[in-house]
Parts: sequence; C-alpha cells; structure tokens
Amino acid sequence: MSIEPITGRYLTVTIEGAARRIYFEEAGQGRPVVCLHTAGADTRQWRHLMNDAEITESNRLIAFDMPWHGKSLPPEGFETQEYLLTTEAYIETVLAVIEGLGLDRPVLAGCSMGGRIALQLAALHPDRFSGFIAIEASDFQPAWYDIDWFHRPDAHGGEMGAALVSANISPYAPNAERWNTLWMFMQSGPGVFRGDLSFYTKDDSLIPRLPTIDTGATPVHIIVGAYDLTCTPDDAERTAKAIPGATLAVMDELGHFPMSEHPEVFRPFFVDALEKMPGTAAKAA
Amino acid sequence: MAPVQLIVAAMVQLTNAWEARVIDTFKQIQTRLEATPHLQRLGRLFSETVLIEIDGTEFYLSFEKGRIVSVVEGPSRKTPWRFALRTDAEALQKFWQARPEPGFHDVFGLVKIGRGRIDGDILSLVKNLLFFKDVLGLARGKEEFAA
Repeated sequence: MSIEPITGRYLTVTIEGAARRIYFEEAGQGRPVVCLHTAGADTRQWRHLMNDAEITESNRLIAFDMPWHGKSLPPEGFETQEYLLTTEAYIETVLAVIEGLGLDRPVLAGCSMGGRIALQLAALHPDRFSGFIAIEASDFQPAWYDIDWFHRPDAHGGEMGAALVSANISPYAPNAERWNTLWMFMQSGPGVFRGDLSFYTKDDSLIPRLPTIDTGATPVHIIVGAYDLTCTPDDAERTAKAIPGATLAVMDELGHFPMSEHPEVFRPFFVDALEKMPGTAAKAA
Repeated sequence: MAPVQLIVAAMVQLTNAWEARVIDTFKQIQTRLEATPHLQRLGRLFSETVLIEIDGTEFYLSFEKGRIVSVVEGPSRKTPWRFALRTDAEALQKFWQARPEPGFHDVFGLVKIGRGRIDGDILSLVKNLLFFKDVLGLARGKEEFAA
C-alpha cells in the first residue's frame, strides 16, 4: 500500500460574475508553481511531477481543474449554455485561482492551451508571475480537423477526442501512460473538448503580443515534443523567436502531453525549465 | 525479347511482387485482428469498405462488425467505399515501423505532413478512429514491407 503526497481540495472563486467551485491539487513546499492542464483533460496530467519528491522538495506544485473539467463543476445553468472558452475567461480564471490561493508571483507552467494562456499572461499580466514554462505552446494553431466532430448526439465525443489526440502521443510513450493520458479525454464532458478547441484554434490575439513580453522581468521557456502534430517544433520555434529572450527546448521522443505520456523522459526537461525560473532553485537533478 | 520488353516485363514482375506483399500485409492485419477480441468489440458497429490507395494502386478492405472479411485489389469502379486513405508506399512503410518518425506515426500525421489524404465520409472514420487506427497499426513492426 502507498499513499501519495498529493492532496486535493476545493476553492470557490468568482469568474465572469458568478461563483465557480474549483478543484485543485498540490504537493511540495517552497516556490509556488501553478500547472495548467491541456484542452479536454484535467489535473491528473501532472500526477507524476507532483509525486516527484526531488522536485517537490523545493517547489510547491499546484494544479487545478478548469471549470467544466475534471472535478470542477460547470457553472450553474450550464445545461442551457454552449461551452466556448475565451482568452478573457481563461485569464480571469487563472488570476482568480492565484488570488484565491494567496500565491505570490508563482511560476506558471501550462501545456497546450495552458501554454498558450501562459504566454498571454506573460504579455498581459507579467506582474502576477515570476516566470513562464510554456509546454507544447505556440502563437496560434488553426484546426486541422473539424472541432464540431467532438460534440454530437450520435457519437461519443470523448472516444473520438481520444482517438484524435492519440495522433499527438509519441510512439516512445509507455503503453500504460499512453492510455492513462487518453482516458482523461474519454472522460471529458460533452462539448468540453470542442469548447476548449474553439479557444485554441480560433483566437489569434497572442501573435501581436509576443514581442511585448519582457523576458528580462519574467523568463519564458518553451518546451516542445517532436511528435506533437498540433504544436510542432516549427510552431514552437516560430513562437520563441517572436519573444525576445525566450528559450526553447525540443524533446525528440515526446508528443503533446509530455508530463503525462512519458514522465520519465519529460522530467529532465521540466527540471531544466524550473532552473531557468527565478526564485528557489530546483534541487532535483 | 527486345531490351525494352525485358525491362517492362521486369517492372510488371516487380509491381506484382510489391502488390503481393501489400496484400500479404493486409491479410496479416486480418489475421491479427481475428486474434484481438478487444478491437473486434471496439469495431462491432463498423461494417464498411475502406479504400487504401498506395501510389495509385487500390486495395479494398471490407469490414463486417469489426472483422475484416475481404481484402481485394483494385482497380474497381463497382466497389463502393465509405472512406479512403490515399498515401504512398514509402510513407506506409514508415508508418508500419515499430517506432515511426514524427508524422509517420499516425494516419492523421500522414495527412498533416502531406503524405496522406483522407476522402469520403470522414465522420465515419472519426467515429471509428480508435478502431481503424489500431487495426491499421496491427502491421506495425513488420519492417520488411518494402516500398
């Protein structure tokens, strides 16, 4: 038997004028690092890093489920709403959680749409953070699929979503972790993946903001997997070049969900990213 | 026999040998699918014919309730198909490697890197995507498949 050090609690914050009950998990102590999950998934993507004693020795990792995701309920009246995430609502959510938890300038680590919003926050609210780790993140990605596929009454959106994103998992990923990663998509609520993708594939407002990011004040480190079809190394490189001073690391054997699909190979890249961030240096090696 | 005729005859022989290997690979997928009950369960509602076109050569895979019931080489204008995957032999060879290089690791990857095209009822494919991708991947590791 073993009990993991990760603890989960709930936090109620106000977003878009209404209460949201947010589920969050944390592990460790020291420098706060807020971790954002990808579209169509939840905090479980961060489970391996949050269970890494060497990393959590000096880093307090905090991950939360976005409203509509994981254990965070959708807002009251959701049954009459079409879920479509926006940059504004996403930013408001991240800032509300940080304020609600009383975090002082945490590092922000986000993957995929979480990486996208991390870069938006680097441009628009750098004073609230100490640095940004943007994983599988780029300036803009138009959809190479029809996002409406993933919310239909005649098909299982979760299974279709999992089938689609499996294209973004590296063949080097251990089979068990590949399927653990896909399971989260299979469990995603109806229309949630589609609503996330709407934000991710239609809002290109980040492009003109990238050159305004001051990496002297808040460093930006971008990490990308070679097997990521959605945010390719070329996409990440283009994005990094548009941010003066941003750094980039390419992971040859990883895909779009590195912390979840192949944690062992991702770990050194994340440790390296933490070392580039201000504050308590990561002691993990 | 004149040299030109010899060359043509050799090419026909090579083509036939290549087509035979492709058919053999699809037959192997058929056999492996028979031994993979969880995939048959996943595809239990899938009874369609899929066209796989490799360098312009047509192969029709007919599925019945999650099992492959026939593998037929074209060309055929009489065989209706639900959706088609059009690619090239080299791309498919790379797709079937145990650890394909980026882009060649997935059906949609082939499309994304410009080495594949999907036509027809794409929604039918997407509804059965987990099944179809895993079925096609049953030949993975069969690296002797040659372009």
